[in-house]
Amino acid sequence: MVILKVCGVDCYYGSVKVLEGVSFSVNAGELVGLLGPNGSGKTTLLRAISRTLKPKVGTVLLNEADVYNMKSSDVAKNMAVVPQSSSLEFEFTALDLVLMGRHPHMRRFEREDRTDLEIAKEAMKLTNTWQLAEKPINELSGGERQLVMIARALAQNPKVLLLDEPTSHLDANNQIGIMDLLRKICKEKGIAALAVFHDFNLAARYCDSVILLHKGKIFALGKTDEVLTEENVSKVFSVEVIVRRHPITNSLYIVPISPLQEIIPTKNFKVHVIAGGGTGAPLIKILYRKGYYVTAGVLNLLDSDYEECSMLGIPTVGEAPFSPITNENHEKNLGMVNQADIVILSNVCFGHGNLKNMEAVLYAVERGKKVIIVEETPIQQRDFTKGKAEELYMKLKNSGAVTVKNYYEVPSLLKNLENELSPS
Amino acid sequence: MKKFAKWSLILVSLSIFLLFSMGVATAIGPMSIPVDKALSIILHQIPPLDNFIPVRWTSAEESVIVQLRLPRVLSAVIVGVALSMAGVAFQCLFRNPMADPYVLGVASGAGFGASLAMILRLGFSFFGAIYAIPFMASIGAISTVFLVYGIAKTGTELPVLRLLLAGIAVSSFFSALISVIMALAGEDLHTVYMWLLGGFSLSRWEYIYIAAPTVIMGFVILYAFAKDFNIILLGEEQAKQLGVEVEKVKKTVLIVSSVITAVAVSISGIIGFIGLIIPHIMRILVGPDHRILLPSSALAGATILVLCDTIARNVIRPITLPTGIITTMLGCPFFIYLLKKTGKIRI
Repeated sequence: MVILKVCGVDCYYGSVKVLEGVSFSVNAGELVGLLGPNGSGKTTLLRAISRTLKPKVGTVLLNEADVYNMKSSDVAKNMAVVPQSSSLEFEFTALDLVLMGRHPHMRRFEREDRTDLEIAKEAMKLTNTWQLAEKPINELSGGERQLVMIARALAQNPKVLLLDEPTSHLDANNQIGIMDLLRKICKEKGIAALAVFHDFNLAARYCDSVILLHKGKIFALGKTDEVLTEENVSKVFSVEVIVRRHPITNSLYIVPISPLQEIIPTKNFKVHVIAGGGTGAPLIKILYRKGYYVTAGVLNLLDSDYEECSMLGIPTVGEAPFSPITNENHEKNLGMVNQADIVILSNVCFGHGNLKNMEAVLYAVERGKKVIIVEETPIQQRDFTKGKAEELYMKLKNSGAVTVKNYYEVPSLLKNLENELSPS
Repeated sequence: MKKFAKWSLILVSLSIFLLFSMGVATAIGPMSIPVDKALSIILHQIPPLDNFIPVRWTSAEESVIVQLRLPRVLSAVIVGVALSMAGVAFQCLFRNPMADPYVLGVASGAGFGASLAMILRLGFSFFGAIYAIPFMASIGAISTVFLVYGIAKTGTELPVLRLLLAGIAVSSFFSALISVIMALAGEDLHTVYMWLLGGFSLSRWEYIYIAAPTVIMGFVILYAFAKDFNIILLGEEQAKQLGVEVEKVKKTVLIVSSVITAVAVSISGIIGFIGLIIPHIMRILVGPDHRILLPSSALAGATILVLCDTIARNVIRPITLPTGIITTMLGCPFFIYLLKKTGKIRI
């Protein structure tokens, strides 16, 4: 059952758009993780839902009613927010603070009665904080305080629970404790919870589904293992990651390797790569890292070589998916060949659709460019043009192109060529 | 629950203490009248009781008690209640321990109005003489509040930091105007100066008839928001999420607190320090919950102001010092002592 529904929300701070077209819904008993880099709009989204920052466009529906048309106390009866760790420099006791969660249920001059106290007590027992009831809140540790804040939220008897980084600043033990508790609360009480995380591993381990925010828009949403892929995470967080399944918890775990930096070409040396079918990606990445100015030849849009190039920001001639190379794109490709100092042909398969790429390499040789051929498998096995490609390939080899057996031989070869070419 | 029983006990004790101070204050003065006699005179004023109390005092004694001391003591009670409550409310809304009832420039606005009334001798032209000063003071105070409010407002929101800064700016401006008036005041300088220092020399029953109902109403309204105050302390965003209509509460409370401050200033001039330290002292004694903090501060503020005024009247007889001097002179050292002892001042 859908309890919380966000429809096409746009939010602004002043004239700066921070959320755009955000739509999703959360079911009862579901724990949804909200992930995204700093400034991607996670906290803003929580504020928009919790009736603190009114969206310019779009609606937030709580049990099918627009929260911005409800009285704030009616919203608070159904939706509770656990804020990012707040400084609480007051002498209120933990129990006083939890009882504040009963505020929306009380009339103006009404005092909290036995029922309120019972509800607060139950919430504190559930969060294992009842023994702290009489302690002043400013004397509690960070973890205890966070648990008390969750108890306060539970005392509101909410159907929706919003949490802003519930585990930040907590040690590993408290993080696991709070996440276990959260999952238990969701399942047992049928609460729909939406929580912001900075730690993708916690989200991966505990959430039923995940929303990945990127620059104010939803980049991906769905089941945790469908959303948290290497590709999604590295694009959104600009960090190279590996995603594996943990042998003990059987949940995904994500290890960041190195930040994807915008590498500025340091070498005054242009390399044009003609590839396809994923045969060029590893080489392109290496050359890019080494600081070469890399361009890439005609690649189909859904090709993983093309994806790699667009992620690295490499100038590429793109062709519609599964379509043969048009003359127009061939021209563009030749243009890039002209600009390059060196042209590299990867271990790509040839069909009628991409035969023009072979012609482009031949063109390079004719123009006197240095050409390197990566030949990991014989051309006969990669030729699907009944010998046409093979014919051109042999011509290419005979006109002075250098052949290597493996793509990782290319960098050292390039280095030699670089020394050779640079005096001129 | 235990908490509520404790609160009742605190309020009963503070009330007894206040009544006791009022009794003492009424009895002490240049003409010495014993407490029991003073009490008899007071009770004799209440219609059904006058038949049962035999008259055992001179008419001079009766008029000292009824016409001079009683209105003075009651004025001190009203002003003490008003300033302490406004202090609690402002410190909470601004979440700033330095806030006091005068943060929005009420004092300077009132001072400007009152001093204008004094140098223009407005009383002799179109008002009854006794109303001119308080009337002009409240006009000054309330227009200042609306001016500050108007400056600070952005759209429908009322950011507290803007309010604080607008208050400081407007307050300084009116202080400058007061200085101009004082420079031009000539023989009225002394009157203006004494008024600004704050005191109860001009107390009259007529003021009390207007001030008492206003302050009582103010108390009821502020008390109605006591639970909201507690939650607003956590921050405006959290308060909104707990169902508090923060902007509504803020506007209502600012207006009500400013009005009761204006009433206080118009009958007593600018009494310093009460509105700042009473809330802090009571917070240390009874805790931060506004359901007890608000009424207990009101009672304690009244008691302290009655006692300070008694000192002001009697310490250097026959001169009556401005009460504001006494509150500041006694309040500062006590406050410093608290600061040193508790180490940390919270809101």
